[in-house]
Amino acid sequence: MERIKIVKALGVATALPMLYLADVAPEASLGLILVPEAHAIVGAPLTPLSVAGVARRTTVRAASAAANTAATSQQQAATAQQQQATAQQQAATAQQQAATAQQQQAAAARPAGAPAVGTVVNALPAGCAPATRSGVEYQNCGGVYYRAAFQGNNLVYVVQ
Amino acid sequence: MKSTLRKHLTAALSRWCTIAVVAGFSVGVQAQPAGIAAEAKQLLKASTDFLMSQQHFSADTRNTLEIVLKSGQKIEFNHTARQSVQRPNKLRAERTGDLVNQVFIYDGKSLTLYNPQENVYSQVAAPDTLDGMLDFARTKLDIVAPAGDIIAEKAYEILMDEVTDGFVVGKAVIEGVRCDHLAFRAPHVDLQIWIQEGEQPLPRRFVITTRDVVNAPQFAVTVTRWNLEPTFDAQAFGFTPPAGATKVDFLPR
Repeated sequence: MERIKIVKALGVATALPMLYLADVAPEASLGLILVPEAHAIVGAPLTPLSVAGVARRTTVRAASAAANTAATSQQQAATAQQQQATAQQQAATAQQQAATAQQQQAAAARPAGAPAVGTVVNALPAGCAPATRSGVEYQNCGGVYYRAAFQGNNLVYVVQ
Repeated sequence: MKSTLRKHLTAALSRWCTIAVVAGFSVGVQAQPAGIAAEAKQLLKASTDFLMSQQHFSADTRNTLEIVLKSGQKIEFNHTARQSVQRPNKLRAERTGDLVNQVFIYDGKSLTLYNPQENVYSQVAAPDTLDGMLDFARTKLDIVAPAGDIIAEKAYEILMDEVTDGFVVGKAVIEGVRCDHLAFRAPHVDLQIWIQEGEQPLPRRFVITTRDVVNAPQFAVTVTRWNLEPTFDAQAFGFTPPAGATKVDFLPR
């Protein structure tokens, strides 16, 4: 395809506050798939009214909240954050363990160089075929199974 | 406001064009007083109040989204949409275009997203009011309901949130309809709204300019048709999965 192919962007574009697109990996935040790479997007506008307000609110409130916070509450916030971080770490470890177990389970069937289990992509690689395992529909792409899901307004595929 | 910005611009242009064609000139936009002009607020409030008072309606829109490439080149994408609303708690939005093909359905109990191209849908239980559902969709699912903010009860507050400046640009004609043209500024974005003159102050066009992004890309919505007396059939807000449709989950946020 010669023209830039952007898939399913709009929902996501509307869903995220994208105020500093130039500073972030736009493909990631937009959920855009770009072909060719060289034409990567620098920025997109905030989209509909359906979101302009939200985006503004989220960002600006976060900023002003941070600015207004007194030292005490900052300390409290820091403590809370630390606790949250610890909890997050624990959760992450558990997740990792689960993922590892899953990976080991799947290892026998998975081709070498397959993307990690749980990887979320915006489009399937070429050469996929629908496949049903235990009543659940997947896409079998060269031995790697993907399952469709919505992430916000965006249809994505999760590596199994 | 007797002499609007547009009149000034027009007058300035015609005056200058006759005498200063050769010299490169720029028309100085009149400095607007800081703050939000009461007239601009009133016009917007009248519009959101009017929409709130409508128990059912549908709007067809033509939407354009600009993307800025690394080279600085702007690329435009288009889609059309139809939003149908039945208060207190039904909404259907269909969007069709280069970037999006999606149906959003809320029947007062559940919310469905359906992508016809992939024949994939997802359905979850949702709160039983429009505002509750919009909030739920945004915060729990990261989903934006098309036109969500203008149909919300708090539409005016949502639109004016963080707005620091606003004024009436002047009269305009959108899709053949006479409108008042309003311009607002908020951190990061500029917002223009065109509101139909007269007894039915319907929003006719929106433009959002994101100033912080290089080349300030815009998102624009033009309402090509308002229908305040729509007839919705029994299935308008229901969803029956088409043959072979795959039901998928929402990924946790």
